Amino acid sequence: MSAIIILTISSLLILFFGFSKQRGVILPLSFIALIASFAMLAMGNNFWSEYLTNMISIQSSSKSFALLICAIAICIFPFFHELIKRGNEELADFIGIILLSIVGAIVMVSYQNMMTLFLGIEILSIAMYVLAGANRRSVNSNEASIKYFILGSFASAILLFGIALYYAATGSLSIINPKLINSELYQFSLLIIFSGFSFKVALAPFHFWVADVYQGTPTLFVTVMATIVKIAGFGALAQFVLSQNSVLPSWINWFFALIILASMFIGNIFAYSQSSVKRILAFSSVVQSGFILMGIINLDANNSWSLIYYLTAYALASIVTFIVVYFVEEQSGSDHLDSFAGLSKSNPVLAVVMSIALISLAGVPLTAGFMSKLYVLRNINSIGFTALMVIALVLAAVSFYYYFKIINAMFSPSGDRRWSVHFSYSAVLVFITIAIIFLGVMPGVLHGFLG
Amino acid sequence: MLLAIILILIPLIAAGLCFVSGKKIAPIVGLFGTMLSFFYFLYMLTVYNVRHELMYNTSFNWIPEIKGIFHVGIDGYSIIPLLLTQLVMLFSLLYALNSNSNKPASYFGLLLLTQAFLNGFFIAQNPITFYLFFELALIPIYFLVLNWGGAERKKAVFKFFIYTIFGSLLLLASIIYIHSAIGANQLLSWKEFYFQKFPMHVQLYLLVAFFIAFGIKSPLFPLHTWQANLYSNSDKPTVIILAALMSKMGVFGLLRFVYPVMPAINVYQPTIITICIIGILYGALMAWRQTDMNKLLAYSSLSHIGLIAASIFVMNVQSIEGAMFQMFIHGLCVTGLFVVVGILESKSNSSNINDTSGLARIEPRFASYFFIITLASIGLPLTAGFIGEFYMLYGLSKDNILYSLFAGISVILGAVYMFRFYQSVMFGKLKNGSLQSSSAINLNAEYILAIIALLVIIFGFFPGMWIDFAAFSFLEYSEYLPN
Repeated sequence: MSAIIILTISSLLILFFGFSKQRGVILPLSFIALIASFAMLAMGNNFWSEYLTNMISIQSSSKSFALLICAIAICIFPFFHELIKRGNEELADFIGIILLSIVGAIVMVSYQNMMTLFLGIEILSIAMYVLAGANRRSVNSNEASIKYFILGSFASAILLFGIALYYAATGSLSIINPKLINSELYQFSLLIIFSGFSFKVALAPFHFWVADVYQGTPTLFVTVMATIVKIAGFGALAQFVLSQNSVLPSWINWFFALIILASMFIGNIFAYSQSSVKRILAFSSVVQSGFILMGIINLDANNSWSLIYYLTAYALASIVTFIVVYFVEEQSGSDHLDSFAGLSKSNPVLAVVMSIALISLAGVPLTAGFMSKLYVLRNINSIGFTALMVIALVLAAVSFYYYFKIINAMFSPSGDRRWSVHFSYSAVLVFITIAIIFLGVMPGVLHGFLG
Repeated sequence: MLLAIILILIPLIAAGLCFVSGKKIAPIVGLFGTMLSFFYFLYMLTVYNVRHELMYNTSFNWIPEIKGIFHVGIDGYSIIPLLLTQLVMLFSLLYALNSNSNKPASYFGLLLLTQAFLNGFFIAQNPITFYLFFELALIPIYFLVLNWGGAERKKAVFKFFIYTIFGSLLLLASIIYIHSAIGANQLLSWKEFYFQKFPMHVQLYLLVAFFIAFGIKSPLFPLHTWQANLYSNSDKPTVIILAALMSKMGVFGLLRFVYPVMPAINVYQPTIITICIIGILYGALMAWRQTDMNKLLAYSSLSHIGLIAASIFVMNVQSIEGAMFQMFIHGLCVTGLFVVVGILESKSNSSNINDTSGLARIEPRFASYFFIITLASIGLPLTAGFIGEFYMLYGLSKDNILYSLFAGISVILGAVYMFRFYQSVMFGKLKNGSLQSSSAINLNAEYILAIIALLVIIFGFFPGMWIDFAAFSFLEYSEYLPN
């Protein structure tokens, strides 16, 4: 709770600083606020952990999700220094909005009551709609914003409808120990609620917004979209599934299996033929969402770490890929595959970190991506979906195709552009890449850290 | 201190040093790393006790949540492929010293990385560790071909990569399945894996997955379509690794994984062996028709590997002895032959066998090394090639005489295409133009050829020790075979 308060106050302060002349303090202040809230979460004093008549509770798994959100935000924030290039006047707006979106994300993963969930989703989503349109003079950015806003508010409405049905079926908005009054209505409400969630985390067949929005949104903000929104969405879904474990009907596993199958097929097939790297990554994020959902099937408090592990691996790799795409786009003006040509020659550091991140997304051993896939695949195999596991792995061969298409482009000799990236950015990227490999080489560490 | 894991660490550290060192130093660091690993392995071999099933173990709980144990050690099966790996990597690096490549630091780093992963692959002692290195070994090879290959390298390596990944993902699926099936027990070594009795239909699925995974890697007949293009588009040190070592990964994988599915193999044996024999004959016939030297060797390799795979599927003591020995000799021969091709290419700037002729007159020493290696590759008695093929054909004939009859035709065809190759390159009129003016054969390549020629003759006369190794390793696991 203290983390939420710190972040909210600092975001308000930052919006205020936007009016004043001291714009230099904006970035340091936000960074300090993030670190402080991370520390507050890590220390976890119980006095502040439950709040508002049990509508929010930051404990056990929700605490891990909140910590992950803060950690990922800390990893992304150094790159927001690039925003200063765009002119000072907008900096305060963007940083303030992003801090608010992190507040929304933390609320989303720690809700105990459907009202809080909706509040969190709206705080996060509205911030994202604004960020999608951040590039006001670009048509693509405006299109992305409008598309995301219309489809997103539609999905929110569906979720709200599901919440209403849930209330009708259980007689309470609280998700703790649901008492079923009307079982059929409850099952229907689950269907609606899961559909709403599927939109937020871009699972097929609710993925249609993702490619256009990722392509239009300024790449720095896509990094936030691909990491924090996804963690928050899956965190909220996990909280819901965990609390409903005792009353979930058995068909829900098949429903998830169907969504996973659809995401694998659609994501892989659409990504296969793209030539814009951002679109490839957007469709690949649909596939990754499918894999993450495998960790949600049959979720209980004992195996929620595998979900957190996957989200960590995915978020770290996504940061690296999108930031590298940002730098390439910044210097060549396009995110087409051809504009990556010659990156290995002119800036080997970027090429190597990008390669490792893509290899991790593809799931080669000794990277975090492999371990996370191993965990979730073993999870679905152990509950009897062996055929799904085999199909997912066979389709993963397609994903190797498009990830390595990007690597091929980077290592092709043509192009003699000069990519110059400030040393500190490279250092952060290298640091994140080392974290990816470290998690892959010693997978036990994260679990040990989470307890 | 003798530990198998040091065989991974030496090349790994050397690779790291290569990556950070300068242009001049990197080759020396690389060569030093390979030599160190070679001599370390030789020292291990002198202390190795073949009756002491598993030696130089290292194991720890790598993935504690799912009881994924990392376990490396040396058993009877590892010895021969490991020796081959150290030798071939040494040859490959020696050859690479001469070819003036750009960016030598990353080049030698990647070569050593390959060696580290290959060593890890051959000493892996349970399925998870095995899979780890099976997939890792692909990554440095991918970058080696991508950055230093021939004209069509991108297409060729991409095809190879996607094929292999497809196979290895099927392998991953079956390993995850096996892991779940074994349940609470730990999968510490191969024996726990072999001990499992799967129902027949599961065995069939597993067999198909293993056949595809290792069949792509080897490659075996219907899954070989990436091979010829990749071999002709890689540079020579890389193609030596591909042909001599990566292909052995496939058959070695079969050897490791067929035990639990032996009942299914016995049921479907006629089909499986027929597929292998078709591959053997197809490879030999295709090699006969090739004019590109690299493709000729690629198809001849397909033929030889098919025979090794067939004899692994029949799984009796003679066939395994032959397969293990032939793995070693084929690796040596194909290394020598690709070095020969490298020399010929540098002399005539073409990989067509019709563009070179009459070389025996000006390069008599080269001609004789080439001749000895050719003989060994054909399998002439008193060369090492004969021993392996004899044992394999004998082992096949114990199951069905027709198997060895048809597989035996490939030996005759082998003589046809190899002699055709040798004849058209070495004899005939010396062509005018570039040949005479071209530079002499570099000394390293000649050393490599001399050593290989010597080795194939020595092993032809004294194969006993290696055959014994193979026999002991067969006996080590023979209790897990049905009946």
